[in-house]
Amino acid sequence: MSLVSLNILIADDNPSDRLLLKAMLSGLGHNVDVAEDGLEAIEKFDPESTQLVCLDVVMPECDGLEAAIKIQEMSRGRFIPIVFLSGLSDTSSLVNCLKVGGSDFISKPYNLVLIAAKLDAIIRILTLQKRLEAQRDKLSSYNEQLIHEQEVAKVVYENITHSNCLSDPCLNTFFYGHHLFNGDVILAAYKPNGGMHLLIGDFTGHGLSAAIGALPLADIFFEWTRKGFLMRQIVPEINRRLKAILPADMFCSALFVDINITDKTLEVWNGGLPDALFFSQRQKKPQPLVSHNLPLGIVSESEFTYSTEIVGFEVGDSFLAWSDGIYEAIDSKGVMFSECQLNPLIEGRVDSDNLLPWLRRKLETEGVLDSAHDDISCLKIDLSDAIGVEQESSVSKIEELDTPSDFSFEYTLNAESLKNTDPLPYILQIIMTVSGLKHYSGQVFMMLSELYSNALEHGVLQLNSKLKATNDGFVLYYMERETRLSMLESGYIRIKVSISSNEVGGVLNIELEDSGVGFDTSQIKLKLEDSDELYNRGLPLLGQLCESIDFSDKGNRVGVQYQWDK
Amino acid sequence: MIMQTQYDEKKHVLTIQIEGRFDFSCHKAFKDAYSSVDSNCKFELDMTKVTYVDSSALGMLLLLRDYAGGDQGEIVLNNCNDAVEKILRIANFDRLFSLH
Repeated sequence: MSLVSLNILIADDNPSDRLLLKAMLSGLGHNVDVAEDGLEAIEKFDPESTQLVCLDVVMPECDGLEAAIKIQEMSRGRFIPIVFLSGLSDTSSLVNCLKVGGSDFISKPYNLVLIAAKLDAIIRILTLQKRLEAQRDKLSSYNEQLIHEQEVAKVVYENITHSNCLSDPCLNTFFYGHHLFNGDVILAAYKPNGGMHLLIGDFTGHGLSAAIGALPLADIFFEWTRKGFLMRQIVPEINRRLKAILPADMFCSALFVDINITDKTLEVWNGGLPDALFFSQRQKKPQPLVSHNLPLGIVSESEFTYSTEIVGFEVGDSFLAWSDGIYEAIDSKGVMFSECQLNPLIEGRVDSDNLLPWLRRKLETEGVLDSAHDDISCLKIDLSDAIGVEQESSVSKIEELDTPSDFSFEYTLNAESLKNTDPLPYILQIIMTVSGLKHYSGQVFMMLSELYSNALEHGVLQLNSKLKATNDGFVLYYMERETRLSMLESGYIRIKVSISSNEVGGVLNIELEDSGVGFDTSQIKLKLEDSDELYNRGLPLLGQLCESIDFSDKGNRVGVQYQWDK
Repeated sequence: MIMQTQYDEKKHVLTIQIEGRFDFSCHKAFKDAYSSVDSNCKFELDMTKVTYVDSSALGMLLLLRDYAGGDQGEIVLNNCNDAVEKILRIANFDRLFSLH
């Protein structure tokens, strides 16, 4: 439809006026159709093609005002200007014309110069209108596309996080995002040797762009946890990857939790999230676990810090963490939701069974959830030493024929490697090439990690596990471990593995030798019930898993045999 | 959000004064402000009148830090109120910027 020559509909019961106006408008180059009254005008009006309607005010059958109302209904949201033709000049009838939606008047008798000028003005308005409509259409199709892309991203993200074990009964979460796909993530994965890794993270910004980084984050988190890597290896790797791929202004504030069920400890790395809270039944006030690190994805590997806090827990203790959306949220009065609102929580005045409902209610009554400016995620863990213990192996249980294997290898780590590497994931990977062992990876990993940490901590580093007996013992123990390890100048751990298997089962032998001074092996208690101390559970655990455990030399060499059948 | 900049040619210092909410809506103005001067300039952010910062504001600070040459850059944040300073400290941004 051209905007230089308009399709104009004229309705006037006076034949001479009608013809005169038609002649004038045709002379200006427009296409003109005529009607003899309001009814005919309504019949001839076509919202698809008519661009301007000129209506005489006083007409028989249906007057101009009525026709104008009807025509506007038929216009279905399109802007089709209506101009009234009138010999009337009293204010109230002119006002009435505008009230029913008229755009302008042309007064009789007609003046060609004035009419030409008015038509120019109307054409300008129509041009503007057309441009606006085009922009509106573009915007709404753009918006549709955006929503579609967010939906796609959501599906991809959900696929990647499908191995999440957030449904574990020890976990409780609530989540509030005001975008279809926001930048908050909560990830949870069972470790192969029991226990769990958790990550709660908040990416910069909102929407799709905030979620880009979530994909590699989740990928590394699940993959590396499954392979048996430790938290202190996974966190720097996530940082390295995010730093490499994200633009400078994007990062992820995050909190990583490692639940260790053998030691009953909780290790927390906090980079940029508000203090998480550890609720111990022994203390009234919860212990804050403070952010000591920059968020993920900001600094390079060399500047990255791995500063964690370790707490020992008992069954029934709990842990609470949340994303910073809570602090950024504005309450219903437009005042920032301030930390003091959380005082009852921080001061331990909220019943530990009620932490999450309390927090949720608090946010609701303060109106935060309705006007959140950021996404809010909360995570609560009910701590126990049974977390992740009896998990179905993630390996699919497709029955395949076990191929026989028969191999052995030896791996010796000297001081520098003991400081800088964790050999277990690699060793586990080699062992797991044995098809019959796939379903037992958790048990194998547990044996390996028990043996290795014994050899490293009590053998090479000569740490006494009695240190762990006191309240702060775990913290002291791990600090001492770090110090001694960083100063280590000599020492070794030699790992020998041999496997032979056939179609129905097999035997795995693992032997570890360390450079330590050994110990009096007659003191060893291998039965769980003999071990009343909390800190000495490693060996009895091994005793349960293995066919045999043998110490030799002066106690610095230990061999275990593990048997399996189909 | 209102943003004003002042460049001291002698001292080679750009002062950016931000007023109100420091969030994504400041993105363009903030970027225009710092990129109008040499990247080896000293940057001072007057935060006296900032009521709020969100995570995209932290991102913008990182962009400025990048522009100023990372560790080599000289960026000072002056007069943050308690709420703003708390957010910066939780993120440990005091290791990347001087807070006064």
